[in-house]
Amino acid sequence: MSEKSGLLIDSLERQGVSRRTFLKYCATLASLMALPPAAGRAFAEALAKATRPSVIWLSFQECTGCTESLTRSYTPTLESLIFDSISLDYHHTLQAAAGTAAEAAREAAMKLNWGKYLLVVDGSVPMKDGGVYSTIAGISNHDMLMDTVKGAAAVIAVGTCAAFGGLPKAQPNPTGAVAISDLVKDKPVVNISGCPPIPVVMTGVLAHFLAFGALPELDKLGRPLAFYGETIHDRCYRRPFYDQGKFAKTFDDEGARQGWCLFELGCKGPVTYNSCATVKWNDGTSFPIESGHGCLGCSEPDFWDAGGFYRALSLPANPLHVAATAVELGAVVGVGVALANRARKSAARAGHESATLADLEK
Amino acid sequence: MGLGDIPVLVEAGGLTGSAPAVLREIVALLERLTQFGEAGSIDLHGLPLSPADRRWLLDQLGKGEVEIALQAGGGSRFIETAVPGVWWVAHDNEQGVRISEFIEVTRIPDLIPAHPDDVANGLKILKSRLPDLS
Repeated sequence: MSEKSGLLIDSLERQGVSRRTFLKYCATLASLMALPPAAGRAFAEALAKATRPSVIWLSFQECTGCTESLTRSYTPTLESLIFDSISLDYHHTLQAAAGTAAEAAREAAMKLNWGKYLLVVDGSVPMKDGGVYSTIAGISNHDMLMDTVKGAAAVIAVGTCAAFGGLPKAQPNPTGAVAISDLVKDKPVVNISGCPPIPVVMTGVLAHFLAFGALPELDKLGRPLAFYGETIHDRCYRRPFYDQGKFAKTFDDEGARQGWCLFELGCKGPVTYNSCATVKWNDGTSFPIESGHGCLGCSEPDFWDAGGFYRALSLPANPLHVAATAVELGAVVGVGVALANRARKSAARAGHESATLADLEK
Repeated sequence: MGLGDIPVLVEAGGLTGSAPAVLREIVALLERLTQFGEAGSIDLHGLPLSPADRRWLLDQLGKGEVEIALQAGGGSRFIETAVPGVWWVAHDNEQGVRISEFIEVTRIPDLIPAHPDDVANGLKILKSRLPDLS
């Protein structure tokens, strides 16, 4: 832990990472973060001189998908350059220690790096019934967060659960889940939303903090603008079909085969800010829309309760035929859909039967 | 089955008008290089260039005499265009996927010359192999 500290460049050299590899990585990272190209060199110089930061990682109400995304992306990764270079002093999913020894490690890291460590959190915090729905070593998530945040330089909320409450907060929110930013008010909080988030976004924020001693510019929801500045729709390769009014109506019709826009199949790309369309997933292979499925909107607040993954947002705006009649037609269709939905909801409620644990085990 | 086998078509699209703007920026950067000796670069990753735009740009710049291959965390290629001092730089990762692309306007791209610290280290290593010099 503390004995592992030192300059980042030395740590990379020990791992056999050459200076040119590092410079190339910094140029690419600067490009992904939309920094001016000349900033790549400054980025590299500052990053090389940075000391390895102590990171304490708390996992609360979450599924471990975020940790999986960040640690098990393709191998070897550019991201691993940074991840291998931080001093990860506490992460109860990854560390060998457990119980009292693990908690002692967290307390020791806090004491040693007071005021300087980065606190990474994935998962939301249950507030109902005194926070009993998620505890670690007998400590509620709320108490552990508030205790650990005291000595942190900044907080990085990783994943939509930590950033906005995510799945645990979905209606009816049985545990009273809240986001990290609902609780932490006196420290800078960066939200890296996504279910899971894109690994390079996490490393980009870490690298920016290490190099410049400050967090990158954030949007109104606390997300780094470099990665969440545009919608999926803005950068989607199927966008020309949207503009031409060509939409797939089912997942296996001729339009789907031709790669037409998935808007009418419920794609949430137009209201979702993230960089999946440019950074992509799985070693830059593709992103959901490229695999034929609409965007679920997973980096936006309350995406689970956004009205159904396969329900279109609204009537698409047709840039060539925007007229009052179309708006009126849209309003009529909207009312019709709303009535149909209400009727469907009432029928579902009337037909609902409670299931017991015994039923599930049958 | 690879991604290329999935029958999803994307219309190629023609010139968008972005490429001449990039060419003008290259001219401005070259002027700075000749007048003040200042290097500059253009990040192609974030620019909305269509395949036709890129072809047009490559045609305008042409291919020069120097081509450098670098192996550092994946392959990189530094190709000097027919306009001396203007380099087309492409970085791939270890899986061969393109991760960034720049036009660099400089006498020699930053990544090519050996860093003084690395040269000093190399000297130390070489001397240690010749005991009478160390």
